[in-house]
Amino acid sequence: MLVALDLMLLGFPLLIPAPVAAQSCEQCLGGWLDAPVKIEVFSDFECPACRVFFLDTVKYVLVDYANIDKVCVIYREFPLAIHKYSHDAARYSLAAQKLGRQQWLSVVESMYTNQEVWAKDGSVQAFVARALSPEDFQRVLKLKDDPSIEQTIARDIALGQKREVQSTPTFFITYLNKEQKVVGGLPYPVLRQFFDKIVK
Amino acid sequence: MANIFRMLHWACRVILAGIFLYSGYVKLQSPLQFAAAITGYKLVPDSLVFPLATYLPWLEIALGVLLLSGWKVRYVALGASALLLGFIAILTTTYLRGIDADCGCFGFGDKISPKTIARDMLILLPAIYLAVEFRLRKPATNPPE
Repeated sequence: MLVALDLMLLGFPLLIPAPVAAQSCEQCLGGWLDAPVKIEVFSDFECPACRVFFLDTVKYVLVDYANIDKVCVIYREFPLAIHKYSHDAARYSLAAQKLGRQQWLSVVESMYTNQEVWAKDGSVQAFVARALSPEDFQRVLKLKDDPSIEQTIARDIALGQKREVQSTPTFFITYLNKEQKVVGGLPYPVLRQFFDKIVK
Repeated sequence: MANIFRMLHWACRVILAGIFLYSGYVKLQSPLQFAAAITGYKLVPDSLVFPLATYLPWLEIALGVLLLSGWKVRYVALGASALLLGFIAILTTTYLRGIDADCGCFGFGDKISPKTIARDMLILLPAIYLAVEFRLRKPATNPPE
């Protein structure tokens, strides 16, 4: 089956059926669930490699592939215990998600861009406020204390542990009923070549 | 004496073929993870990472199959030696540059260290033996190629 997958990557037709990977009931933050490729990222807002992966890779995937429904992007919160403020950041991210994709993107981009600052003093809220309109910010402040947010974080962590995520970023790419786990980030040009092989 | 040479010849071929087949297979299982490892070396431009991650495992599998088949063993072993020397050079320079990269040699989670370099040097030994054994043996005991 794995050999069949790589034959496919080399341009040969897929000959052997592969098992269907676990489907997520999550909403994609970019693209749709029925997109040919699904990328599921387990990330920690205080992790420098996650910052690079989001700002240099995922952001472009969202624009170039998710916006045309070729790739579905799902973000999972996986705050590591060694990071003091990443759990709080995850709550802001999930609260912003409830407002919409654009709000989520603005908040996440602001948090990652200013990671070095708030990771030192815990001033996450200031960078969330900067990314949103005053009305949206007030809504996020209320939503972040919603019990469902904490439940989502706990569920994402449990899911990551079940899938043997041990460091961040770790992402899973599902395509052609096949799943690949990648530990660490990948530069956008590398991922783009892979996507182009799959979605043409 | 001829039997010892013959056994050594077969042992080297089978061990080396097994290593190349396993290494190629592991990389084929997750070309993106292998691509991440290649990226970590900071040696090749991003445009070459994915093609390398896609085709290098096939080269390793081809070497493994050829070693098992016994076709032109001497030349295949020369190719394997060249590839292993290339790996050793890349691992050594990456280690000396102080880059904390994953080896990517036999899957994920194996950081480049003197141990990984020594392991590749050890793998190089049977390849070199197969490439030069014709010089050590009498013509009458040479295995068919």
